[in-house]
Amino acid sequence: MTIVIDGRELEPPEPLHRVLAALDALAAGDEIRVLLYCHPVPLISVLRNNGFAWQEALLEDGTHELRIRRALA
Amino acid sequence: MLSFEQAPPVSASFRFFLTAPWFGVAAGLLLAWDGPQALQSRWSPSALALTHLLTAGFMLQAMCGALLQFIPVATGANVWRPLLIANLVHPALLAGTLLLAISLASTRTELLPASELLLGAGLAIFCAACGLALLRTAATGISLSALRTALAALALTGVLGLLLAEAVSGRLALALETLTDLHAGWGLAGWALVLLAGVSFTVVPMFQMTPPYPSWLPRRLPGTLALALGAASVGGYAPGASWLWRPAIALAAASATVFALFTLQLQRRRRRPRTDATFAFFRGAMILLIAAALACLASTWGLDFAQAPGLPVLIGVLALVGVFVSAINGMLYKIVPFIATLQLPHGVGSSLPPPSIKMFIPERSMAMQMRLHFAALAMLLACLAVPQLARAAGAAFAVSCAWLAMNLLRGLGVYVRLRDQIRSDAAARGSSPAGPAR
Repeated sequence: MTIVIDGRELEPPEPLHRVLAALDALAAGDEIRVLLYCHPVPLISVLRNNGFAWQEALLEDGTHELRIRRALA
Repeated sequence: MLSFEQAPPVSASFRFFLTAPWFGVAAGLLLAWDGPQALQSRWSPSALALTHLLTAGFMLQAMCGALLQFIPVATGANVWRPLLIANLVHPALLAGTLLLAISLASTRTELLPASELLLGAGLAIFCAACGLALLRTAATGISLSALRTALAALALTGVLGLLLAEAVSGRLALALETLTDLHAGWGLAGWALVLLAGVSFTVVPMFQMTPPYPSWLPRRLPGTLALALGAASVGGYAPGASWLWRPAIALAAASATVFALFTLQLQRRRRRPRTDATFAFFRGAMILLIAAALACLASTWGLDFAQAPGLPVLIGVLALVGVFVSAINGMLYKIVPFIATLQLPHGVGSSLPPPSIKMFIPERSMAMQMRLHFAALAMLLACLAVPQLARAAGAAFAVSCAWLAMNLLRGLGVYVRLRDQIRSDAAARGSSPAGPAR
């Protein structure tokens, strides 16, 4: 299952809070797709420090896309 | 629940933010007390005290507090023990600036050594702590180059300030006018403007929903401004190099104008059409930055200060109140709620809705304070033509800064109430509150 969090029209740090809440409930094999207009440095730190795997992409309209999963043990 | 624990405790930055406006209040009251004579010359005791209440007081307090939070959040670098750094730096800068302002206003040079010691120690600790964090980080954010350049310029501004204080006290024989221009140049264009630009590269797109700055601007602007200031320093002191002064000032003014024009252009292309107080503060600051740059150009290429004695005061009012107090004021209205929200992760099962940046300071109160700020600025500028307005302008500026302080205190009050509610909800559930709320 993919959970989409579109934070492009939300004021920071609201997107961060939504992603943190979704990470808590993220099941193995599921994915969170995050859409933002900026590079989320604080979120990357959280992912790095808490054992998540993620891929980043810059879409044509300037959207930063992150696809986050639980890292394989 | 996961949380962003890299940010320093709220109190590390908030003490700086809550102190800064009161230096603005002090500056406004000093002008209201002293009246028209305060703005007659850049060298009047009151003008020197006003300048330092705004630069070493309002601006430095707000910028140091912002950097302690901005460095980890925007660049991923860690400042070593930020609470300890704040405990040492905040009182040193506070007391040092007050002593400096009293010394300058009353022309009592015997107070200068204590002020030099406090400001020198505070700046040295702050520059060392933030400099180490910025040098050691492996991160490569768009603001990093600007932050490094700004911090180096702050250290240099401090050293030039100490040399000036020694020269004013008669312990060093140095040409005061050139040294003062370089101290002001490195402080305003090297530290304050480069830091404003560096923070803007990250927060303008983030908070004002604009497209990003073109990638060459964050790469080139800090170095270009540093180059211009370096050339001006050589032009001011090296024999036979005085011709460098004018092109150096022109380069700095052009760089500032390019930054302001790009910011205004990005604001026009913002994705959300809503205009809030921060947006208006920033737009005003950028328009006034162009005006200040043009006034600097006029002072070096056309009119000289002897022909137009009001010009340095005009540049000072435009740059200090028009550009930096405006931009900082607008930035504080986003940074304070942002930090508060970041430190308030919503606990599972809490009775509160997820924290939002809009919960902390009423929009209407910020908008009204913004209007008063720009009215006070208009009165300050009008003082140059109608000096009798000085007392009213000073009073209006003092009220505006006090209103800013009240708005920030209100935001802090909401943070404390929400934090306590989250703790009490967590206690009722028999669990510890989620996240770093400190």
